Amino acid sequence: MTSPKTAAVALESTTVTLPDTALPAGDLPAPRLLGPAFALARREFTRFIRQPHRVIGSLGQPLLFWIFLGAGFTPSFRPPGMEGMTYMEYFYPGVLMMMILFASIFSTITVIEDRDQGFLQGVLVAPVPRLAIVLGKVAGGSSIALFQSFLLLLAVPFLGLPVTLSGIALVVMAMVLSAFGYTALGFAIAWRMKSTSGFHAIMMIFLMPLWLLSGALFPTAGVPGWLSTAMALNPVAHALTIVRAPFYADAATALASPAYLTSLAVVVGWVALCLWWCASRVSRRDKGVQG
Amino acid sequence: MHMILIRNLRHTYPGTRRQSARNALRDLSLEIPAGQFCILSGPNGSGKSTLFRILCGLAAPSSGSVSIGGHDLATAPERIRPLMGVVFQSPAVDKNLSVQENLTLHADLHGLRGTAAGRMTEALAWSDLKDRLGDRVETLSGGLARQVELAKCLMTRPQILLLDEPTTGLDPASRRSFILALRRLQRDRKMTVLMTSHVFSDAEFADSVAILRDGALMAHDTPDRLKAMVGTEMVVIRPRDPAAFATVLETGFSRRPVRYGDELRIENIPPAEAVPLIAAVLDHHRADVLSIGVKQPDLEDVFVHVTGRGAAFAADAEPSDSRARQPELTA
Ligand SMILES: Nc1ncnc2c1ncn2[C@@H]1O[C@H](COP(=O)(O)OP(=O)(O)OP(=O)(O)O)[C@@H](O)[C@H]1O
Ligand SMILES: [Mg+2]
Repeated sequence: MTSPKTAAVALESTTVTLPDTALPAGDLPAPRLLGPAFALARREFTRFIRQPHRVIGSLGQPLLFWIFLGAGFTPSFRPPGMEGMTYMEYFYPGVLMMMILFASIFSTITVIEDRDQGFLQGVLVAPVPRLAIVLGKVAGGSSIALFQSFLLLLAVPFLGLPVTLSGIALVVMAMVLSAFGYTALGFAIAWRMKSTSGFHAIMMIFLMPLWLLSGALFPTAGVPGWLSTAMALNPVAHALTIVRAPFYADAATALASPAYLTSLAVVVGWVALCLWWCASRVSRRDKGVQG
Repeated sequence: MHMILIRNLRHTYPGTRRQSARNALRDLSLEIPAGQFCILSGPNGSGKSTLFRILCGLAAPSSGSVSIGGHDLATAPERIRPLMGVVFQSPAVDKNLSVQENLTLHADLHGLRGTAAGRMTEALAWSDLKDRLGDRVETLSGGLARQVELAKCLMTRPQILLLDEPTTGLDPASRRSFILALRRLQRDRKMTVLMTSHVFSDAEFADSVAILRDGALMAHDTPDRLKAMVGTEMVVIRPRDPAAFATVLETGFSRRPVRYGDELRIENIPPAEAVPLIAAVLDHHRADVLSIGVKQPDLEDVFVHVTGRGAAFAADAEPSDSRARQPELTA
């Protein structure tokens, strides 16, 4: 596009002699992806920490859920092949998943607030790749969700799970992936929304089936055919698989299992797809109509 | 070279079920040479912000083309963004962050590592924020929050600066110091500035003034030539009853006045005729006249003339200081 001659004119020089062709700044030095994304993510987390009710609210809910539901279900829980497992223990990865899922998705409600308060327009005109805007928001939202879930992860030693150190590392990786996928999904849906209450309504319709059909509440073995198909298609089910398995096997064993690798591939594909979807939504401009 | 080149731009907002589609820009063509300070004015709803949304790439026009710095906006927005700084009409700061955090975030988004500290000092020099850097923006007054926004745009030193009514909410002293800081920076760095404003004192020192009405360009020229359009001098009369007195002027003096609020103006009077006219009016209608004077046209008069918004506009116009400056012979 630009000739080498004009490209030599430094953008920063005080005496800008304007070339007759296109200005040199069009040749970006390198797409600055991670710097701006990190700055936006940091802002996201700072905002979260400064709103204590958000911290308390999203921490308390799954904890209560876990304690009450786990305590109530234990006596009647006798799934085939899982003898000796309390429902609390079975339910634990599901609670973890629920926490990541809900916290991730609802963290993206700030997209609507940012648009409403005008902050977003300033970000959109900044000279950063659109993917950086997406990554910043997604990483910020994910870090909020993970911050909460990691606190829940501290309960692991008290559950009597046969977990290894490498297994935990794999669990953490799976949690990070899941958080990215859900945050990106929330982001793409929140992008065009005008009101936070509308977002709440839509997301509850989306989230509940995703979570219920993930195997978080009941084991997937022995369910009717249509339900097992739905579960096989549900990315949350695969996310749960890759989070749950490393609690019972070390990383090497888990990664050697084809089922694990399949689920991992599904989740990675899901994350990539959602990020791409977000970036394409962000790039789209409000188009004037003919008339 | 033209830094901003707008050709036959049209923009129609899509209608909704309850609202019909709205034409915001109709066949707008505008050229702004590099290094110029251009003021864009026009009545409320004339399409200024719409034009800005298109220029900064937030909206795509219905038709027409925009080229900025030689790049086509439709196909290469990512090449234009590094050239451009934008101040929106509505706030664009994060209220939960402090002044300093907002500026740092802005610097990060624009890749200003290392240089950020020095630039921040420079960008804040004109403002009242120097000792409020640690305060959250939500605890600042409206005008101070606006200053944060303006400091942000000065910090990145873009080649092109778009400002949509940047000084709304600022007190006269801050407005002046901001405009002076902006003007200095613009000259030093040969920036191209396009700024909307209803404050005509801002426009006096601009290189050019463009006036929009109903999405079309009514005039675009230097302030002096625009003023010459309205004429050399005008007689401004404030009668007790403007409607009745307009008839008096037409029948008794064969002058067609333009009404502007509660004033009547007789535009484009040759210099030799103004004083005799005033004398004649006072001779016959002393009791009906509250004040009468000769006035050099200023940009506000151009605006009134070009947009044809006399009485209707005066009611909601910004309080102007032109009346205070006009040499007035109080009757
Ligand atoms: N999002 C929108 N949807 C529909 N119509 C819109 C939208 N935004 C603006 N308009 C209409 O487009 C026209 C131009 O609006 P615009 O905001 O560009 O005016 P403006 O010149 O900036 O006015 P002001 O001086 O009040 O800021 C107006 O009639 C307005 O109602
Ligand atoms: Mg506007």
